[in-house]
Amino acid sequence: MTNDSLLWQVRHFVYSHFADTTHPPSVDETAQHFNINIEEAGTLYKELHNRHAFFLEPDTLTVRMANPFSGIPTDFKVHANGKTYYANCAWDMLGIPAALHTDAVIEAVCTESNELVKLEIRNGNIAQAIYALGDVPAAEDGDGSNLLIHFPLPFARWYDDLTFT
Amino acid sequence: MLLFQSEEWIDKWCKRNYLERGEVLTIHQVWKLSKLWYANRMSVEYHGRSIEETKEIFRKSGLTSTFWHGAG
Repeated sequence: MTNDSLLWQVRHFVYSHFADTTHPPSVDETAQHFNINIEEAGTLYKELHNRHAFFLEPDTLTVRMANPFSGIPTDFKVHANGKTYYANCAWDMLGIPAALHTDAVIEAVCTESNELVKLEIRNGNIAQAIYALGDVPAAEDGDGSNLLIHFPLPFARWYDDLTFT
Repeated sequence: MLLFQSEEWIDKWCKRNYLERGEVLTIHQVWKLSKLWYANRMSVEYHGRSIEETKEIFRKSGLTSTFWHGAG
């Protein structure tokens, strides 16, 4: 039987580790932090995966996603609090400043057109959007009102294949 | 969820990948949703949310079509 108090403390530790370091803790680091053995930490990781608290790489104990944070590089880069995070998707690139309650500069690649866009989140608002070619600003889009995010699957199917979603 | 510059690029992407078009939101709609969805994610008290709480977030974000139903 799972100790629920410890379970949620482990969830919080994984998220805090992401926020502090931009990457997830290994199961060994988590075991060490809570002074438990690796097998127990692994069981807790699997339980949190099953409860959709975060998501492991298939057949491993490596955290791939703790939404909005990504454990691997993506097209959605978020600069905040002096660090650079990767988000899982276009929604999560906004989720990182929302979760951290902080200003941010987001660099993202537009699908199909492959144009780079830089978005500035300032004081709880989208303050500016600039399309850029490399490091050279190409055009401004005011507050990004023209940018769109496509949700390919209805909510009922989001967890069928989270990587695709 | 992917970022696009216009509706036309979304249609091209869907056609190229043989996918049905889903729901399209402006970045400002998604920012509003994000602030509700992720506000307490870093808290030790956050243990996930109920179906009713999820529906309430969608409602407050103005997302009421059937696409957003089936919360679970």
